[in-house]
Amino acid sequence: MPLASALLGKTLRSSTFRLALLCVGLFSASIAGLFAYVYWSTADYLAGRYDAGIVAEERLLLDAFERGGAPALQALIAARRAAAPADGDLYLVADQAYAPVAGNLRSWPSAARGHDGWIEFRAPDWRPEAKAPPLLRAVTASLPDGTRLLVGKDIDETRQFTGVIRRGIAIGVALLCAMAAVAGISVTRRTVSRIEAINATSRAIMASGLGERIPLRDTRDEWDQLAANLNSMLDRIEALVRGVKQVSDNIAHDLRTPLMRMRGRLEVALGSPRGEGDAALLARTVAELDDILKTFASLLRISAVEARERKVGFAPVDLGKLAGEVADLFDAAAEERGGHVRFQGEPGALVWGDRDLLFEALTNLVDNAVKHGRGDVEVRLTPAAGGAELILAVEDHGPGIPAGEQKRVFERFYRLERSRSTGGNGLGLSLVQAVAQLHEARIALADIRPGLRVEFCFPALAAVAQHAAEVAAPQSARGKPDPAAA
Amino acid sequence: MRRVLVIEDDAETAGQMADSLGSAGYAVDVARNGTEALERGRGADYAVMTVDRMLPELDGLEVVRRLRSGGVATPTLIISALGEVDDRVRGLRAGGDDYLVKPFAFAELLARIDALARRSGALVKETVLRVGELEVDLLARRARRAAVEIELLPREFQLLEYFMRNEGRVLSRAMLLANVWDVHFDPMTNIVDVYVGRLRRKIDAGGATALIQTVRGVGFCLNAAR
Repeated sequence: MPLASALLGKTLRSSTFRLALLCVGLFSASIAGLFAYVYWSTADYLAGRYDAGIVAEERLLLDAFERGGAPALQALIAARRAAAPADGDLYLVADQAYAPVAGNLRSWPSAARGHDGWIEFRAPDWRPEAKAPPLLRAVTASLPDGTRLLVGKDIDETRQFTGVIRRGIAIGVALLCAMAAVAGISVTRRTVSRIEAINATSRAIMASGLGERIPLRDTRDEWDQLAANLNSMLDRIEALVRGVKQVSDNIAHDLRTPLMRMRGRLEVALGSPRGEGDAALLARTVAELDDILKTFASLLRISAVEARERKVGFAPVDLGKLAGEVADLFDAAAEERGGHVRFQGEPGALVWGDRDLLFEALTNLVDNAVKHGRGDVEVRLTPAAGGAELILAVEDHGPGIPAGEQKRVFERFYRLERSRSTGGNGLGLSLVQAVAQLHEARIALADIRPGLRVEFCFPALAAVAQHAAEVAAPQSARGKPDPAAA
Repeated sequence: MRRVLVIEDDAETAGQMADSLGSAGYAVDVARNGTEALERGRGADYAVMTVDRMLPELDGLEVVRRLRSGGVATPTLIISALGEVDDRVRGLRAGGDDYLVKPFAFAELLARIDALARRSGALVKETVLRVGELEVDLLARRARRAAVEIELLPREFQLLEYFMRNEGRVLSRAMLLANVWDVHFDPMTNIVDVYVGRLRRKIDAGGATALIQTVRGVGFCLNAAR
């Protein structure tokens, strides 16, 4: 399977795998070191115990020889063999020519000829039932009468025992390494496969479009969180791109239609003789061009507001005074339609903002309310959240906006079907929203049956100033030069 | 004849501006870049100059700044394709006296230039303004037409005062919004017409002739009854 081998290749190249390998190596080395220590100390301890037993036995026999000569020695050997016949103790007394005299070993080992001391040797005739000649350890001594004494023990079992330990340790370490390697590979594979899923999605997006999403595995682990975050980022980007596309489609549509109309009119006029109608035609064309230019200006203005750096050129603005002015400005227009624009609130409610932009935004809202609402329009300014917020609301008694369309009315060029026939370019609320965002004001629509309530929720200047002071305080403390250093 | 200096790099726009100002009775010089603008601005005595913000070589605002620091006090209309509030403020600070955003109607341009050209004359500090039968006492805040008292709301009084001070001049809706309401954008509504309509009804109620005329496609004009 090429896919599996590609994944394996990626696994082996991945940095996670290298890290896992390093960890496994260090862990195995320390475990092997620990086992080696246990092994060597066990083996050393066992060997020490055997040697001490052999030396004590030799001392006993030498004492007997000193006291009673060769007969006493041989009697003691016989007695000790009779006391423990199956024990692995070795005894051998030999003459000067190494011919056995007494004891349970058939011949003097060739390795022990010519000198005294410790030897290890194998005797084929000792325990002939054993599969291999057993390993024996002994010490030899020359007695004053020229005979020789060999005392020893069968250490074959001990050797086998330490051999078992050695093999056990080796197998254990090998198994450990193998398991760690398998664990490392599987962990790395998992990581690599998750990253590969992200990579594959990225490639798919580059190749086809923003519709792809990284699959989640419902594990709620950090990988799922990463994937979820990337997915929501993609959602946002997709929405923005769709918005941009929608806007450009709308621009194309909303501007092409009047341009086509004008073109047709001018073409007809070009083919007909100059006459009375020319002035009216030109005036109408200029008026329509003005509308198109105004639409462009509005679009540019919205972009400029959206792109504007926050808080640049901001100053305290008296929202109460401003709302009062707008209400005053539009009262006359409302009166023409048999209503009034009333302002309820007090001057002196300050927000941090751009007066002209706020005026323009509110003008848009009140203008809409006057045009689409029936009769009176209320502009209310009320403090909220214990003075931390100011709510500026515009209420009309018109047909309102259906709940399904409330979100969309802020889109550029979006117009309710019933307002298509009336003037306007569908950009007013987009500007309102851009201004609200610039001022960090929340904007909300509500149906007040009958009528629409549009609400700005501003952070009040008092709260803003307090926040600014909190933010600035640690900075100025940092910025201050240390008097001790100066 | 009053002279106007048009500083504009686009040849066709400059030509159109020169034509429309010429037919309104101004003599027009055109400067096509910053250097030329500085030379001409320093060399002759103009009633008004218009400055495009985007100029080759030298920014329009820089031209105004240099002319001002060189002692040239000619009233200046800054023309820009940028509609941002910040730009307008910066333009006025640099020594521009009014600000017009592209695209504009030539009638609007003419109205602005008329207003600026008048400003360059002596500004009379009067307390009572008179236009025909109409009389406005600025101190007492009272208006009368042919000795008949006219009841005006504060905003209507401000509007009338602005009309009286610019008697015989065409005032665009944008100029009225800026000077009476301090609104510096196009509210896309007929608010100005509504106010002018009310004012017109009030001041024409006691007289035989209409004093405020509508100028099609531009705005309004207050004229003494003929």
